[in-house]
Amino acid sequence: MTNRINDDLRISRRGLLGLGLGVAAVPALTACGGVSTSGADGGEGSVSFLSTQFTQVEERQRFEKILGDRVTAAKVAFNPVDASTFGTTVKSQLDAGKVQLSLLGGVHGDLAPHADRLMDLDDLLGSLGDRGFTSDLTDLAKLSGSTTKYVPWMQATYVLAVHKKALEWLPSGVVTPQMTYDQFLSWMTAARQGNGNKPVFGIPAGPKGLYHRFFQGFLLPSFTGGQVTTFRSPDAVTAWQYMKELWAQTAPASTNYDSMQEPLQRGEVLVAWDHVARLRDAPGDKPGDWLMLPAPSGPKGLGYMLVVAGLAIPNGAPEAAKAKEVVKALTTGDVQVDVLRQNAFFPVTNAQLPTDLPAAVGLEAAAVKRQQETAGAIVSLPPVGVGARDAEVGQVFKNVFKEVCLDGKPVQGVLDSQAGQLNAILDELKVACWRPDPAGSPCRVA
Amino acid sequence: MSARRRWERAAIQAACVAITLFMGVPLYLIALAALSSRDSLNQFPLPLLPTDPSTETMSTFLQSTGVTGGFINSLTVGLGTVVLALLVGVPAGYAVARYAFRGKDTYQLILLLTRALPIVVLSVPLARIFLDTGLYDTTYAVMLLHTALALPTTVLITAAIFVGVSHEQEEAAMIFGASPLQAFLRVVAPQALPGIAAAAMFAFMLSWNEVLGATVLTLNQRTLPAQVLTTLADSPLAYRFAGGLALVLPALVFIAVMRRYLLNMWGTTLR
Repeated sequence: MTNRINDDLRISRRGLLGLGLGVAAVPALTACGGVSTSGADGGEGSVSFLSTQFTQVEERQRFEKILGDRVTAAKVAFNPVDASTFGTTVKSQLDAGKVQLSLLGGVHGDLAPHADRLMDLDDLLGSLGDRGFTSDLTDLAKLSGSTTKYVPWMQATYVLAVHKKALEWLPSGVVTPQMTYDQFLSWMTAARQGNGNKPVFGIPAGPKGLYHRFFQGFLLPSFTGGQVTTFRSPDAVTAWQYMKELWAQTAPASTNYDSMQEPLQRGEVLVAWDHVARLRDAPGDKPGDWLMLPAPSGPKGLGYMLVVAGLAIPNGAPEAAKAKEVVKALTTGDVQVDVLRQNAFFPVTNAQLPTDLPAAVGLEAAAVKRQQETAGAIVSLPPVGVGARDAEVGQVFKNVFKEVCLDGKPVQGVLDSQAGQLNAILDELKVACWRPDPAGSPCRVA
Repeated sequence: MSARRRWERAAIQAACVAITLFMGVPLYLIALAALSSRDSLNQFPLPLLPTDPSTETMSTFLQSTGVTGGFINSLTVGLGTVVLALLVGVPAGYAVARYAFRGKDTYQLILLLTRALPIVVLSVPLARIFLDTGLYDTTYAVMLLHTALALPTTVLITAAIFVGVSHEQEEAAMIFGASPLQAFLRVVAPQALPGIAAAAMFAFMLSWNEVLGATVLTLNQRTLPAQVLTTLADSPLAYRFAGGLALVLPALVFIAVMRRYLLNMWGTTLR
């Protein structure tokens, strides 16, 4: 009996303890509906800024610092996410009519699918007349409609990074900076032979690499003058034959590279083509050993791709007025130059480039300028108006690369079958062609 | 001891060492890389001993915006998920184990249905529901989602364990005056503890590792993986190692704590 009483006592003590813990846990739980992870707490008065750019750790920290130092109009909660999360978040918030986002930042292709969810920004763009946006960019910002849907934020392109060691294999008669694709191939062939049969050239053909932009914006426009309409023309066959030869001189490990600055730093390759922001760290602390060159040119000219990022405000944004102030601040010359200096994205305004840029960015700036000013330059854009299906369009070009260069299938057959895939996507979308293809509607492979 | 027996013992030892290495070597390598300087990661071949230790990448990573907040959120969500999943899942598991009812097999199969649909398909509608109810961008939203995802394993694991606890002992306890609840708490639950611990571990790990749902349901109050995973995928190698280690360590600590309960399942006295 004594035992029994003791036992009961023990339970009640334990029960009491449990009860106490439970009572303590309730306020603790209600207090932690969450802790802010985006700098500002996203609460009253702060501008919630969702972006597909600057997701990388250091880029993000540097951009947050720019926001903190230069943007005084409002507290900005900067929230970088990948493109698919960006799309889902924007869609779900606007469709539910409970918008928490006040500012959206992304490349043209990220914003395009949400054209009817974005506020008209004609008044804002009008008040930014002194920024000197080119009409190319402001036209693009209309997203195929009649009103401005975003304000240009920054731009970028792709160039070649070259370690000076590779110059010793430059064949006679070939000079940098400007060469043709054939000269480039003979250089890479000579370099491979000189380097003990080890290829020195790399492209970002990894799972997250941007190599499809090389085909869409550089190789095909340079050889065919188009991107989509000429997809299976005889010129395109020549281009892919060329690519097959170039691939034979390319480091096979390229299919693992997402960003070329790392293999360049490690010395695995000496020459690489990539996005300027993904080559920025290659020169490291020895910029004297490096060159940045414009892309080679082909029979039709020097094709290069322009990447444009824009700032948009969603309909029903809780802090639309403040978001406009943030856009104004981000397009001032100082901030544009800061972003170039820190994160290697180029100004979209008439901001004067300072002479004291970080060495690697300075090299890139010179190459970008030369690329733009080359006579016969062919500007192309990433697919416009295909929205969420950009990845599928890119995949078509990746497939051609895989089948032609890796699997060794005959070029014309591959192009014919992939043209079918591309047309199937484009026929559903019924969009007008984008540069460099002539603006015919609907866009499809001839 | 016969030669054959000795050989068998050696083989078992070798297998144990191999499995330990299989688990341990990646952890060692990731820890080594996370605590090395960025330059030393570009060397070839990579040194296998810490020749150039540096906490620079690790501290830069830990100082990036939202890592501390994300850690607290992840912990809240993880523990909340464990509590909710056990509160709902353990009684369900008990019912499945003890009672025969019509459609029991179908019920067990349908339980798994929540795991059959990928979250990608559900993301926009889910986010909308949480937006409409005002739970969007709170840890409660993520907790509820993770509980829903964790329930099937919780129910099935605990059911399997309750089947193993003898029903006679429970009846005996009731004959001696225990109420059904007391009998459950004092006779069944202690014996089922290893299974409950395993279920808790699964629930916590699931919540700790889940990215997509957490990303879709939150904006400014993300869990740690949702906060850093996109970032890490685009970052240089050094940060991927630092982030990898930071994500693995808390999970290891949780497993270490739960381990003693789990090992009981096979009757080991190891504590």
